Amino acid sequence: MRGAKRLSVAMVKVRRLSNRLLVTTGAIAVLGSCATNAPQDTWQPKGPNAKMIDDLQQPVFAVAGIIGIIVSVAVAYVIWRYKDRGQPIPEQTHGKPALEITLTVIPALILAVVGVFTVRVVFDLARTDDTELVINVTGQQWWWEYDYPVQNEWGITQPIISSGQLVMPAGTKVLLRETSRDVIHSYWIPALNGKRDAVPGRIHTLRLEADEPGIYAGQCTEFCGLSHANMRMEAVALSKEDFAKWVANQQAAYQAPAEGTLAKEGESVFLNQCVRCHQVDGLKRPDGTLAIAAPDENVWSGAAPNLTKLMTRNTFAGAMFDLLRDACRDDVWKAESAEFGEKYLAGVDEACLNVNDLRAWLRNAPEVKPMYANPALLADTNGKYRGMPNLGLSESDIDKLVAYLLTLK
Amino acid sequence: MFKVGSKLFLGLTGFSALTLVAYLIFVERLALGGVALSMVFATLVGLSAIVITVNDGDNEVQPRDASLVRASMWPLVTVAGVVLLILGLVVAQVYFIFGIVVVLAALTEWLVQAWSESASDDAAHNDSARRRLLHPIEFPVIATLGLGVIIFAFSRIMLAISKSAGAVAFVVLSSLVLLVGAIFALRPALKPAIVSGICVVGAVGIVVGGIAGQGAGLRSDLVEAAEEGHYTHRECGVEKSKYFDKKAMKTLSLRTNPVAIIELRDGALSAVMTGFNEPQKSVSVPRGNPVTFIFRNFDAAERRMVASLGAAMGTGAESSSEKEGHSNANETCTQLIPHGAEQALTITYAKPSIAQVEPLTLTVPGVEGQAIEVVVP
Repeated sequence: MRGAKRLSVAMVKVRRLSNRLLVTTGAIAVLGSCATNAPQDTWQPKGPNAKMIDDLQQPVFAVAGIIGIIVSVAVAYVIWRYKDRGQPIPEQTHGKPALEITLTVIPALILAVVGVFTVRVVFDLARTDDTELVINVTGQQWWWEYDYPVQNEWGITQPIISSGQLVMPAGTKVLLRETSRDVIHSYWIPALNGKRDAVPGRIHTLRLEADEPGIYAGQCTEFCGLSHANMRMEAVALSKEDFAKWVANQQAAYQAPAEGTLAKEGESVFLNQCVRCHQVDGLKRPDGTLAIAAPDENVWSGAAPNLTKLMTRNTFAGAMFDLLRDACRDDVWKAESAEFGEKYLAGVDEACLNVNDLRAWLRNAPEVKPMYANPALLADTNGKYRGMPNLGLSESDIDKLVAYLLTLK
Repeated sequence: MFKVGSKLFLGLTGFSALTLVAYLIFVERLALGGVALSMVFATLVGLSAIVITVNDGDNEVQPRDASLVRASMWPLVTVAGVVLLILGLVVAQVYFIFGIVVVLAALTEWLVQAWSESASDDAAHNDSARRRLLHPIEFPVIATLGLGVIIFAFSRIMLAISKSAGAVAFVVLSSLVLLVGAIFALRPALKPAIVSGICVVGAVGIVVGGIAGQGAGLRSDLVEAAEEGHYTHRECGVEKSKYFDKKAMKTLSLRTNPVAIIELRDGALSAVMTGFNEPQKSVSVPRGNPVTFIFRNFDAAERRMVASLGAAMGTGAESSSEKEGHSNANETCTQLIPHGAEQALTITYAKPSIAQVEPLTLTVPGVEGQAIEVVVP
């Protein structure tokens, strides 16, 4: 009997705990929407495309909210008013045509009005004929590649290739031509526009335009495998003058490290280890031939991030990690529009380098970012990795590589 | 006091927690299995909380009249589905999926039958309740499956016999269907046994014909077309294909999603790409990713587009070319297409442009001095 009583008490406690958990979860979900510093807040548009969506969703949300409240209150009232109290079953009728037609026509009219404005926004967001700059975007597990086709009007006389951060001029109609190398991904910078899937074998377009210089965060929004949650992106908007400087620097010739330096030794390590997958444009082997990466032979998606000018970016590993220390990163992210470009274009120097994360990545990448990079588990991919494997680098090699990577500006 | 359901879910939750911990310790910390087990654990925690909160539904156990319970085949079918499901894990995915469908269907039938048998003390009413709930699902599903089998069997017949025989068979069969339908309509008093008999004979005849057609295999021209690649077939030499898609307009190519449309118009070659307001002379394509070009010929003569693949190509397209015994050059082509036609060409550029000795290009033989440069960053 005592055992049964204890169990009964325990059950009551578990029920109370369950109720508290439900209430707490609900409260967290509600309070979570109150964040003021959320960089991926869909309610804070920073460009005309996102503004178009916002102008549509605000009134629709209001209308839907009002109707939702009316319906909920009506249902609650009916449940309370007519609940079974032992009263006789009321008279059963078979419909009231006038009421039913009214209740059909009113929602249909509301939906028709919403539909007209929605279709208009959809068509406006699909426009491509007013494009000023085209950028090709390719998704793969779990990072984004950006390549800028030749566009002489922007000073792009040779293709530029980058990853992690999309750099674009502010106040410019940019068109992304998206595709994917492996599975379906989805590109989303909430402050600049809605989502667009990147599908293998297809080219999907997405308009982006930022009103002001700054960094706008995003996230892959189509589940794409183990590190989907870590597949981030950042759109960096620069003034047109700063964008021209960025373009010029990206096309500048490769500068080899000086002989006898740690960075020069790092270049050798890079040639021996990293160039199997990662391209650095202009890098030459000791015999004078260009070093051509072969990710098609080693990586399942057929590509790995091009590391030319790596230190002009602020992130690495699919924008999962910052190349800048927190203080330097805050300095760039919180910069006023007028001085943002100068701070961003300064890139990453030794004082600001987030050396801990970079070293951890070089030491054992799969330990810090979940990836299918275990050599023992690659039977299904013909021995090719999904993500960066553990290269087994020594601490000395890591020192050299960090010194070398710092020269890629 | 915890009831049976609560105990079951609490036990399952504890077991999943132990499995998760063991997996994380002994197998791999960041593997997909860990994620899956975490989700199983979280789901069971939620279900346990619900079951405990509602006190297992707190239903009083209703005494049940054993005479209302009929023999059921659904437990047996469920077991057969589970066997298929497990077999599929080892043999092939199709058995696994079929097993899931069988298990879900059998469980649904089983659950509804069990529910209906305890609905009232009237067996006829219970059976009526089951039929009202399941017939709207059963009839369309069975009809769809039956029609599917007949259509599939008919398609096997049509693929096995010659084109002319196929046309005759189609006319004869459709006339028979029309005739039989007309008889049924004009003689509504026909005995149901006769109607059923005619339908069964017709269906069995088509199914038997389909089995025979499957045994005989495809007719020879279809086999030949399949061997030479059909729509994906390509060649850079003399045209050898008899069955390729000469006029792909409105069919294949328009349904593709090209990286660029290459047009030959007034002797000039240009690339039309979404986002570029003017025709381009170079196309930037991602490395290591299949890209599709569409070639449109507005020239009076038949033309083809040739894509140079570079010395460092090494793609699937190259090996395909060797397999078909056509051009050995490092290039791939559309076929000759007439004025106004178009054709798609899908290529994977595995190496970047800087790895090539010569630029990667798209050209049209006979149109000199015109080339679209393909840039692979």
